[in-house]
Amino acid sequence: MFEKLHSNAGLIFPLIVAGAALAFSGALDPYLAFVATSWVIFGLLGLSLDVIWGRGGFLSLAQTAFYGLGGYLGAVIAINFAPSLGLSLLWALPSAAVFGALIAAALGYLIFFSRMGELQSTILSYTFTLLLWSVTQTFKIDIGAAVIGGDNGLSNIPGIILGVGEEAKKLKPNAAFACVVFISAVVYFFTRWLMRSNFGKIVDCIRIDIEKTELLGYDIRKFQVLNFAYSGAVAGLAGALFALWANYLNPSIFSVQEALLVPIYVLVGGLGTLAGPFLGALIIGALSFWLGGGAAGGQTTLILGAVLILLVMFLHNGFLGALDNLWKRYLPDPNDAARDAGAVKIDTEVLDQILSEAAEQAGPAKNLSTDEAFKSFGGVIPVNKVSREFKPGKPYSLIGPNGAGKSSFLKTCVGIYRPEGGTILLDNDDITRAQIFDRVHKGMGVKNQKPQVFGENTVFENLWIAAFARTKDRAAADETATRILNMLGMEAQKAVQASALSHGQQQWLDIGMVLCLAPRVVLLDEPAAGMTNEETRELSLLVRTLAKHTTVVVVEHDMEFVRTLEGHVTVLHQGNLFAEGDIDTLRANDAVLDIYLGRGEHV
Amino acid sequence: MELDFLATVLLSSLSSASILLIATLGLAVVYGLMGVINLAHGEFLMVGAYSALTATQIGLPYPLAIPFAVAMTMLIGATVELLIIRKLYGRIFDTMLATWGLGMVFNQAAVLIFGTVSPGIGMPQWNFQIGDYSLAFYPIAMIFVAAVMLAFVYFLMTHTVYGMKARASIQEPQMAQAIGIDSSRVNTMTFAIGCGLAGFAGAILLPIIPATPSMGLFFAVKGFLTVVVAGPVALTGSAITALGLGGGASVTASFMTSVVGDVFFFLMTALLLWLYPLGISANWRRKL
Repeated sequence: MFEKLHSNAGLIFPLIVAGAALAFSGALDPYLAFVATSWVIFGLLGLSLDVIWGRGGFLSLAQTAFYGLGGYLGAVIAINFAPSLGLSLLWALPSAAVFGALIAAALGYLIFFSRMGELQSTILSYTFTLLLWSVTQTFKIDIGAAVIGGDNGLSNIPGIILGVGEEAKKLKPNAAFACVVFISAVVYFFTRWLMRSNFGKIVDCIRIDIEKTELLGYDIRKFQVLNFAYSGAVAGLAGALFALWANYLNPSIFSVQEALLVPIYVLVGGLGTLAGPFLGALIIGALSFWLGGGAAGGQTTLILGAVLILLVMFLHNGFLGALDNLWKRYLPDPNDAARDAGAVKIDTEVLDQILSEAAEQAGPAKNLSTDEAFKSFGGVIPVNKVSREFKPGKPYSLIGPNGAGKSSFLKTCVGIYRPEGGTILLDNDDITRAQIFDRVHKGMGVKNQKPQVFGENTVFENLWIAAFARTKDRAAADETATRILNMLGMEAQKAVQASALSHGQQQWLDIGMVLCLAPRVVLLDEPAAGMTNEETRELSLLVRTLAKHTTVVVVEHDMEFVRTLEGHVTVLHQGNLFAEGDIDTLRANDAVLDIYLGRGEHV
Repeated sequence: MELDFLATVLLSSLSSASILLIATLGLAVVYGLMGVINLAHGEFLMVGAYSALTATQIGLPYPLAIPFAVAMTMLIGATVELLIIRKLYGRIFDTMLATWGLGMVFNQAAVLIFGTVSPGIGMPQWNFQIGDYSLAFYPIAMIFVAAVMLAFVYFLMTHTVYGMKARASIQEPQMAQAIGIDSSRVNTMTFAIGCGLAGFAGAILLPIIPATPSMGLFFAVKGFLTVVVAGPVALTGSAITALGLGGGASVTASFMTSVVGDVFFFLMTALLLWLYPLGISANWRRKL
């Protein structure tokens, strides 16, 4: 009962609060209703940041830019249409939202499609806002009846008008408050739905581990731009509401003081909670309303600056985050199941069946070949003109001492490292310059050295998001994920957060995610690390079965494991192909022993 | 176009670029050696300017007011590092937000203490002629000051024990600790030096840019862009970026308006970041 309430808290409590606000809106003091309307609008602005920062993981300081631009456009449209046609909301809000989304999409395209660094992105978004601040100071233009007068601002913006025609009057403060609460509630519930949809799940994964999300085959750049555009739309809509509420706009909407408020709302309420920004705006607004009239009024910025410092240092989860942690203490811990995990048992028949079905859907296994692949980091050359072909049938093992370039070779094949020379082919398809997600689409499945799982998500969600990347269909993804889950023997851990699993279990989960992709070429980097002897035996069975259906390349240090694979073995040394053969020939090879033990002339 | 006009534009653009470099260097040092973006950098510049101004008002000659400003900002910088930055190591965006809040606090405090307008101090009235054009000496002298500052920081980082410890701490923090470098003390020092450089910039630029509470913002914005475009090799990268972007924007501004110059600066940064998403120095082999 309480667990159900907890998981639906974001639906039920906001519904109660919005309902109460609507019910009592008529009874409020008109002046309070007028001021409180602005708090709700600021909450909406905070929500726009929470979408891109709390969910998308990108701290955008450009939210007030979209907000201000949406406000200006909405105001210009309302001024020109509302006096004769009425219904200011219908004209202003959609156009402002679309405008905000377009500007955000343009900025987002620049940031995400160039794969800009995090810091670079945040600073660029900040300076975009400040550039608008400086440009609008002197920007003067008349658009129809609207006069944008630089730092004189834009006045005569009509209020919120719901009626139609010339006679329509603007709403009184109490009705305007109810109207804004209703619109914000609609936006909030839509955002909540969006963030729980498949789109939102992928956005969450991008925040948790962007590289892994791309390795599952999602074009992360598109999701990031779309999410940013959505946040821009919400900000633009909030801006138009603000313009109609204030009846006046000036360039200070783009100022640093204004921009500073947005992360404060989000941090006070709780990052990533969606409802938090509204609470944050309410708390900050109410505090300055009841305290700000007095001596503290002039020092609002000073106090807010100090509040931001304290929040960042001491209350990073915000109000709702802290409440959530407290509540969770009284609920049963779903991660308890992680402690009594059963042993993994690979059933080759089930695996064979899964893999042959995958072959039917995704096509036959592909060859992976490199021709003179070359990668250097300054003076270090981890991949030095390696030419090698990998075919299905038997697993390939790459061995070599530390620093031999094994992982770098895999990463170059996958596209995490961009090679400086040579070509990489998937069958006859040149993928040397292809994006990572594109290679995954074409059939590559990769497990990196460190197990990469989405720690905040449950085991099942991890498998599901991988299966969904291939199937693009909810039901099919459910089915695939369930089968892999059962094969890994992790049914009991289905609802456990992946971060609660042991290192070995995370390895299995990561391998399971790769299997969900039904890859045509599988690259595994040290899959046996952290596994028990029994688990290593099962893994060996899995790799051998896998190799019958697809091309498999394994990087491994565990020689016993490599021996049980009974496949081709390639020794790498200082970025070069050093020796090849089966494990027993190599064991007898003096040169190989030399580089492993660090003796003799081959070092 | 006449030669003397061209020379004047070039010289004054070089001077603008140098002023940008002077204002940015402290930010670059903190970013390069601590990986921290100090969003209150512009406000430290402002604190330096006000310190120098106050010192001259109580009778100190201007050349002595500059070291006073440096000492003040270094002291405040060290305190800030101990109280705030230290608690947020490894959380770059939290550090940014906290220093942002700090900047607003400084800004508002300056408004309360000094008001929004304050008297400038006179620029030394030396001019010189190029053809038909007369140029003020002091801004041109900033080219020299920027070069000296750059040389000073370079010397500090490569030829002092502190510099070696600082570079060791940023390259291999754990190894540096393992061989006995107290990296948190080095960081306090680095942050204080960064703030001191900002204070120096505020003080030395005082004759050109009068002290106002929001004076830092103008420089800080360009400074942030310069540093992120420069990327991981903060010092050399920032010097090159400041020259290119600052000079370019100034040339644009002298043919059109200063707002166009700002827009040019922003668009150029956006373009550079599109071409070098991790900064122009992301693949350089040198480290300083």
